[in-house]
Amino acid sequence: MYRIGTYKETDRMSDLICENYSMLLVMSRFGIALGFGDRTIGEVCRAAGVDTRTFLAVVNLVLSGEGAPAADLAFSVASLIDYLHNSHDYFLDFRLPGIRSELAGALGGGDISVAILRYFDEYVAEVQRHMRYEEEVVFPYVRALVAGGRAEGYSIGIFRRQHDQVEARLTELRDIIIRYYPGGSTNELNAALFDIFSCAHDLAAHNRVEDELFVPAIEALERKERGRKP
Amino acid sequence: MSRTLRIAVAEPSLIVRSGLVAVLQGLPGFNIQIVEIGDVAQIGVSLCRQRPDLLIVNPSLVGASAPGRLRGEAGCSRLRCVALLYALADSALLKEYDETITVFDTAEQVRDKLLRLAADSGEEPRQEALSAREKEIIVGVVRGLTNKQIAEQLCLSAHTVITHRRNIAAKLQIHSPAGLTIYAIVNKLVELNEVKDTIVDER
Repeated sequence: MYRIGTYKETDRMSDLICENYSMLLVMSRFGIALGFGDRTIGEVCRAAGVDTRTFLAVVNLVLSGEGAPAADLAFSVASLIDYLHNSHDYFLDFRLPGIRSELAGALGGGDISVAILRYFDEYVAEVQRHMRYEEEVVFPYVRALVAGGRAEGYSIGIFRRQHDQVEARLTELRDIIIRYYPGGSTNELNAALFDIFSCAHDLAAHNRVEDELFVPAIEALERKERGRKP
Repeated sequence: MSRTLRIAVAEPSLIVRSGLVAVLQGLPGFNIQIVEIGDVAQIGVSLCRQRPDLLIVNPSLVGASAPGRLRGEAGCSRLRCVALLYALADSALLKEYDETITVFDTAEQVRDKLLRLAADSGEEPRQEALSAREKEIIVGVVRGLTNKQIAEQLCLSAHTVITHRRNIAAKLQIHSPAGLTIYAIVNKLVELNEVKDTIVDER
């Protein structure tokens, strides 16, 4: 037996998490704590002051495979921005530094280790640039748009066109280590690789939320705004 | 045959798409990776990103000239296009397609068609070994030289250097200078102290 279909607010939160443990990440980025007992997704969200539709939109998008029909855009953009912001913090302040120290420990010293860490640091700098741009340019623009104003000289189309796959160079590093690393495989190195695999997966999911929920919702807002101002 | 065949299935009907994917996944002797495209407008973008070997699509959705156009858009000239037919179709519509699969095909028929296509696409021999020239170019790149400087040093044209770099990227599956640095150090092409701290990617 396996589950078919999307999650609804009447489903139990514990079922969602136990059936898809990666949703722990989504939950905590929305600021929802553990210990929710048997309560439903809707009840847990309301108790935590989280917009249920936004939570479900992210959950159902991340769980859906490629080629799923376009997501329902009836959610709170402000709430989604909070979520994206917390995801950025998670990657920059927790996930990537964690992988770096795992790699450093697993590789020991030596020239190869220096070269790999240098690659990793360049990659992190790239992710930082990518996310800082969203925080400093895109989110303020969208907040102004939600508040009813429209910042001139920017549109979400600019973001959509230049939004690249932020995980691409992380998977390249992973493949280089797998194909060319000369030392034996150790438990420590395996653990670092496992985390790189899962982090690349998380980053790809993060990008999908931006490309398939965030951008279309902002485009809809922009269309509405244009309609109002002749 | 164990080579991975990457197949994109572009079909808006969830039921038809899922059915076809289920048939493909059940084919014995194939190692298949699937990309599902539900939104026909996304085909070009998806092909660019995923670079499959094969695209299966209903020609009435994308048109008779779609194979050539999509190959151009996606920049993969080797992409094979298979027409997915629900019903009888005019052969003029199918001229540009490499093969047709109908919704009434048996798994056996689908398998034979895929086998033929996979053979056609002529598995490129994997050339992993780098030439001496390519190694020299890697050394230049990781030392932080520009293509022009590398060209001057090796008495080549800048154009040739760029071609070499493209071949290196294809052979090693490494696309960034920082990645080449790791490769060069692992393979003792350079010492760490010869490597430039930050390498500007000018490709």
